[in-house]
Amino acid sequence: MIDLSKANKHLWREITDESGDIRNCFNCGTCVSGCPAAEAEPPLLIRRLARMVLLGLEEELLEEGTPWICVTCAACEEMCPMGVHPFEVCLAIRRWQSKKDETYIPTAVTQLFQEGHTQPVGKAQGLRRSVGLEEVPPTIVKFPDLLDKFQTMLRETELVRENDYLFRV
Amino acid sequence: MKKYGLFLGCNMPALRPDVERAIRLTLPGLGVELVDLEGSVCCPAFGTFPSSDEIASLTINAWNLSIAEAKGVDPIVECGSCYSSLRSGQTKLLEDEGKRKRVNKLLEIAGKKFEGTAKAHHMIDVLYNEVGPRKICSAITKTLGGINAVVQYPCHTLFPSEIVGFDNPGRPHMLMELVEALGANVQTFSRELQCCGGAGGFTHGAHVDAVKYAKKRFDAIKQETSAELIVVSCITCLMHLDEMQKELNKQGSGDEYSIPVFDYNQILAICMGFEPKEVASISFIPRNSILERL
Ligand code: SF4
Ligand code: SF4
Repeated sequence: MIDLSKANKHLWREITDESGDIRNCFNCGTCVSGCPAAEAEPPLLIRRLARMVLLGLEEELLEEGTPWICVTCAACEEMCPMGVHPFEVCLAIRRWQSKKDETYIPTAVTQLFQEGHTQPVGKAQGLRRSVGLEEVPPTIVKFPDLLDKFQTMLRETELVRENDYLFRV
Repeated sequence: MKKYGLFLGCNMPALRPDVERAIRLTLPGLGVELVDLEGSVCCPAFGTFPSSDEIASLTINAWNLSIAEAKGVDPIVECGSCYSSLRSGQTKLLEDEGKRKRVNKLLEIAGKKFEGTAKAHHMIDVLYNEVGPRKICSAITKTLGGINAVVQYPCHTLFPSEIVGFDNPGRPHMLMELVEALGANVQTFSRELQCCGGAGGFTHGAHVDAVKYAKKRFDAIKQETSAELIVVSCITCLMHLDEMQKELNKQGSGDEYSIPVFDYNQILAICMGFEPKEVASISFIPRNSILERL
């Protein structure tokens, strides 16, 4: 039995106003059938996550780690017959979780803020030289003033404002 | 000569610069001029801002696209997820005026503006539809001489086809034809259209299962084909299919999984006569078996 007494019936609005209409989901499972992450243990079952959102099972959904193993292949997005946009739902659940509990905010977010990249693009000089490329590529790593502007800009976003301790440079 | 802005992303310039070198060497010889997108940042990758703050995420997409707009070029992208992130960001911003305004207000702080005129193109799209297999055939000086190959289609260039599509999402053929243009014999296998499994949080969040998932693909390749190389056109596919074979060999005995993986531009560069040590020097699984035959 699912206990709906603590359910939040507005949860679907909170989570998915940005993606497709999740209310169209009729639980067919097409999104699961081609999903690489459905082969994991515990599996990512996007169909089940959509149910949780629709039923308003807030507490359970906040505990769910499976949205984070999505490989982002968007096969579900292509195959869903009802325009639910399951991949967008998956990202929307992650955002909702990150907002409710900042421990969900991926560390790569901080790295992107600090360096403009999620890999050490400015520190690959030797490797780049060895293949005949300029040592520092013409991305933001080459323009420190721009990186300042990038960070100043992102400081005005909700995520960085509300979690500023994560975004020190 | 058609001009594009080369969008580098993060993995390619930091970890696989030989692919960047291959792109910079091959495209001009095929009539595609490349300009740099100075000051570009991470696309952003789906596991970063798109997973934590939508407006911030779209702002970063717009930051990158605005650099191309200012130069009057479309970005050309090899990495599947960079391509998909840029396409999806552009689509969302063009569809939603409210978000576009919020994003532009943020960009203003950095002196930038998003109009929506620059559209990202994937490498396969440009090589197939702009250059074409025929021109590639006549630009090469060495051929793969019937070497058996399989290809890995980057999932981010297939789905969702409405936003990223240029090939047939159910039966893609462009990468296969591009590889055939180099003289290879391309074979198909049952798991060909499944994502490589390398992007997102799968390998980190469910490592053991991700390795098993990869094993099924390599076993299918080995059982169903006689492939001597795998050709991809996405930095994630390249790194993942290379690294997973190393990992499987570590778990098993010896080098059971040892099919060299090449990005298309790398093998193209070699066929155009460029030096393997510049365009295909970084990999775990040795590429000698192929390089020695060319
Ligand atoms: S494919 Fe679409 S309709 Fe079917 S279960 Fe998944 S989200 Fe629901
Ligand atoms: S996008 Fe994510 S949820 Fe959808 S099929 Fe791919 S791995 Fe599964």
